Amino acid sequence: MNPPGSLGILEDKEKERLSTPILGPSILSDNPYERIQARRLRIAARLEARRREALGEYLDGKKESEEDQSKSFKQKEESRLKLAKLLLCGTELVTNIQVAADIREIHRRVEEEEIKRQRLEKLENEVKTSQDKFDQITVRWEEGKQKRIPQDLWDMLNTQKAHCAGLIEDKNKLISELQQELKTKDDQYVKDLKKQSDDICVLLERMEEQVKNVMKSFRQELNYIEKAFEMERQDLLTSNKKTWEQALQAHKTKELEYLLNRIKKVEDYEKQLNKQREWDCEEYNKIKIKLEQDVQILEQQLQQMKATYQLNQEKLEYNVQVLKKRDEESTVIKSQQKRKINRLHDILNNLRSKYAKQIRQFQEENQSLTSDYKHLVTQFKELQKAIRHFAFIDDKRFREIWLMNEEEAKDLINRAFDVDRIIHTQHLGLPWTAPDFWFLRNVGPISQQPQRSATQILEEVLLQTEEEGTEEAASEAESYLDLPKQISMKTTRKILMLLCDESGFLIESKLLSLLRPLERSECYLLKLDAIFSEQTSLTLALDSGEQADLKRQKEGSLVEGEPEEKAPPSPTLIHPNEVLKILEAFVMGLKKPRDSPTPVRLVKYLRDNSKDSAYWEALATVIPPATLNLWDALYTALEKYHVVLTQRAKLLMENKALEQQNTELQMLLQQYLDSKINSELHVPPTQVLRVPTK
Amino acid sequence: MQEPLGTLALSALNRSSVSTQDKSSTVAQASGTAAQPPRPSNTPPPSKPKGWNSRAGVSRMRRIIAEDPEWSLAIVPPLTELCIQHIVKNFQNNPILKELLPEHKQKVLDLLSPDLPLAVTANLIHDESYWRRCCTQRWPVCHVAKHGGSWKHMFFERHLENLLKHFIPNTTDPAVILDLLPLCRNYVRRLSVDQFLPPVKLRPPPRSGDPSDSGSEAELEEPATDHYQLGDLVAGLSHLEELDLVYGVKDCGMNFEWNLFLFTYSDCHSLAATIKACHTLKIFRLTRSKVDDDKARILIRSLLDHPALEELDLSHNLIGDRGARASAKLLNHSHLRVLNLANNRVRAPGAQSLAYALAHNTNLISLNLRLNCIEDEGGQALAHALQTNRCLTTLHLGGNELSEPTATLLSQVLAINTTLTSINLSCNHIGLDGGKQLLEGMSDNRTLLEFDLRLSDVAQESEYLIGQAVSANREAARWQTSNPSHFMLAVSAKDSENSAG
Repeated sequence: MNPPGSLGILEDKEKERLSTPILGPSILSDNPYERIQARRLRIAARLEARRREALGEYLDGKKESEEDQSKSFKQKEESRLKLAKLLLCGTELVTNIQVAADIREIHRRVEEEEIKRQRLEKLENEVKTSQDKFDQITVRWEEGKQKRIPQDLWDMLNTQKAHCAGLIEDKNKLISELQQELKTKDDQYVKDLKKQSDDICVLLERMEEQVKNVMKSFRQELNYIEKAFEMERQDLLTSNKKTWEQALQAHKTKELEYLLNRIKKVEDYEKQLNKQREWDCEEYNKIKIKLEQDVQILEQQLQQMKATYQLNQEKLEYNVQVLKKRDEESTVIKSQQKRKINRLHDILNNLRSKYAKQIRQFQEENQSLTSDYKHLVTQFKELQKAIRHFAFIDDKRFREIWLMNEEEAKDLINRAFDVDRIIHTQHLGLPWTAPDFWFLRNVGPISQQPQRSATQILEEVLLQTEEEGTEEAASEAESYLDLPKQISMKTTRKILMLLCDESGFLIESKLLSLLRPLERSECYLLKLDAIFSEQTSLTLALDSGEQADLKRQKEGSLVEGEPEEKAPPSPTLIHPNEVLKILEAFVMGLKKPRDSPTPVRLVKYLRDNSKDSAYWEALATVIPPATLNLWDALYTALEKYHVVLTQRAKLLMENKALEQQNTELQMLLQQYLDSKINSELHVPPTQVLRVPTK
Repeated sequence: MQEPLGTLALSALNRSSVSTQDKSSTVAQASGTAAQPPRPSNTPPPSKPKGWNSRAGVSRMRRIIAEDPEWSLAIVPPLTELCIQHIVKNFQNNPILKELLPEHKQKVLDLLSPDLPLAVTANLIHDESYWRRCCTQRWPVCHVAKHGGSWKHMFFERHLENLLKHFIPNTTDPAVILDLLPLCRNYVRRLSVDQFLPPVKLRPPPRSGDPSDSGSEAELEEPATDHYQLGDLVAGLSHLEELDLVYGVKDCGMNFEWNLFLFTYSDCHSLAATIKACHTLKIFRLTRSKVDDDKARILIRSLLDHPALEELDLSHNLIGDRGARASAKLLNHSHLRVLNLANNRVRAPGAQSLAYALAHNTNLISLNLRLNCIEDEGGQALAHALQTNRCLTTLHLGGNELSEPTATLLSQVLAINTTLTSINLSCNHIGLDGGKQLLEGMSDNRTLLEFDLRLSDVAQESEYLIGQAVSANREAARWQTSNPSHFMLAVSAKDSENSAG
């Protein structure tokens, strides 16, 4: 009956415990089910035990088959299976109660339904029968109403009463039955409650036991597993130790082999070393001898070197001393130089400061001087202007003075001539012929009209235009330049500028570079100067015969050039009709001076004084020396005559004066005598004096 | 005993060096005092050496009494210690915690009393150890794993549950619960209330008394009216995921009244509105509450197209075929994964409707129809549904009056289906032939891990063999989960085992 194994026993016990409360108080009809359940549980447990055995066997087989798997793993698997089974069984055991309760409930429900149905049927039957009875009774009531005989009625009433009582009794019975049933139900409810509480108790017990069991078995299994692990570890340790030892052994043998090999090798190496050593020794000896020889030679050389060294040393010492002295000297000199340098530095500084000062000063001076210069330039310009002015005036004055003097001189000459004539005619009684000289006919200063170059004219024009601007000073210019009157100064200037710009090919390149920094007007001026000088030089170089042709050519070229230049039409500049005229006039103006052989370049107002003195000399010596001698002799004779005359005159004069004195004194006396005072006086002078009154 | 004490005191005296000039005398006095019984009180340190001659003075001279465990050389505690003590003392009025250094914070938390008002601590203290102390102080048994492993959650959930359990409508101030709401809204994930007290008209039960007594004393003159309306509370709990309710009274004893167990229509409506509004709800349980067809339909209608609901448990109620039909409709209008209709009154038509819904469902994992009466018609319908279903893993059909026809169909299902892992057919009348057929079906199955055929009139042998096959499947599954590469090997092993079996 009892399956082997503690678990099975436990389960069995529990089953019995479970079955007793189920079997005990339950209703008789329930019993077989409970019993069946109990039996079934027992069978299940047995089967489980068997299965466990089978599994164990299976596991054994597995063990054999899987030898390679470790012991611990096997143990683990085993334990796991065991524990899983245990848990499963435990839960089954615990849930068995629930299942049992469920099936009890189901049975109860089925029964309840059955009973309910029966009860309902019963009640319905009862209702039917009672209804039948009631109907009978009601029918009887109808019958009773028809009954007239009281006895019958009473009987009937009695029977009716009995019937009613029967009906009521039936009902009462039913009620009591139902009440009985209710009571039994109540009892059963109480019993059920008790059973349920018992169930719960059992459940708790089982759970507790289960917990205990599971704990115990878990612990046991843990121990087993631990043991298995321990064993495995041991095994592993031993096997590892074995392998370790083997490895050690192998290592040892290998070590030995290595050692032997090494010893052999060492011996070999020793032999080789010895050989090497001998060879090296021989080599060494050879080298030694050779080196010793070398050493000797070197020693000799060393001696020689030493000697030279000695020599050199002495020389050098001497040199050193010399140098030391020189050094001293040089130090002295150096100090001197230093001092000098210092001094010079001071001087330099001073000079620098001075220099700076002077620079400043000079700058200032420069500035002042430049300003002065500018001032002076303006002054100079003004002065020039003034000079020009004054020159003009001087010229005029000179001319006037000249004329005046000349007139005077001529007067004097005329007078001299007159005197001479008078002398000749009256005093000497000689015929006089008037001398005839060239200079007597001359009137005005002796001078040539100065030839003026084109450049001068240009300069003048430019300066004029520059200075005077729009002032129409054409009259003067025109006086120099015989330009047609309809051409104004401006147009001329423009033409000249154009000429300057276009005929740049005539100017030398050097000049151009020099001209660049100059002012515009000056630049133009110089350019034009260069151009015209070039032209003149060209013309002068040629024969006079060819000149006219050339000039014409030039004119042509110039005239030809003009329209070309005019081709870019600038109508405001010069009317094309006028161009020809202008140039013609210009060239004609230029041609005139060119005819004269004198060179063009002359100072403007420089006069030739050479002839003046001669002229004036001639004027002075218009009376020849013979006449002068004559005159001198005449003069002396006349002077003598004059002296006589003068003495006579003087005497005459004295005479006259005395006469006058006499008259005056007479007058005075008269006056005094006539005066009143004479009358007043006691003694009038008149009385005293006998003034001859007339 | 006295000798070592004396020497100890002596050495201590020497160490403390009271005054060097009369050491010898003190030593002598100390030896004299050592003979005396040691004073229990901590003697004050002798600041003034007075009373040399008297014995009391001598005893006062003793600086250290060796047997005093309280004594320590560190007489003055550090300022931080004092500050921490002060903070702890005044924590209720002036809670300073976040500003402290971590070590001091820990100290303060260790010293705080669990009786502090929740208004102070609820949102300030997140330290689990403090809440653990609170929990263990209030309840002797604490399963913190049930509350998501958080002591704080556990405290607030259980606190709230306690309040709800003892709430008496029209008597208790609803503010008691609603005041707690702002404090606990972040910490309540599950709410499991296993009793709702009905309102009391005449005699309000003493508040301080035992809750069971108060519930039992509520002898009602009028029929019980509505219970506490959860709407406001649940709306405030933003993280509520699980709701486990029982409309009933516990421990009523001899004061039993049917009225105590009424789940009224207005209760039902308010509950339906509540769970409809709670979008975070995942698990809803309403058990042992006399929910009949109509009420079940009201509730389920409100749950249609619920965004989060995964588990619905209406076990131990009075739900019939119409309620089952409603829940069948719910299956295909929600993400329900677990449906529990155990111990109800579902019969064949209800099971058929459920089976129809199940045939095309892709969410439901577990279906429990224990202790109903679906009989063979319903069982066959379910078996047909399982032939097409590819989702259900757990099926409980215990106690459903099933018999051989269902078993034959189920055996066919077992051969085809590869998702079912657990079937319970206990307490049915499968019969011997049915058992054999199931065994046949089982021989082709590789996925089933549990198959309960207890008390179902199946032959022992077939039950045993089915058990073997299931355990082999379990082994295979274990192999597969532990190392998928060995799966093939395990399968071959199992084959060989089957052949051996």
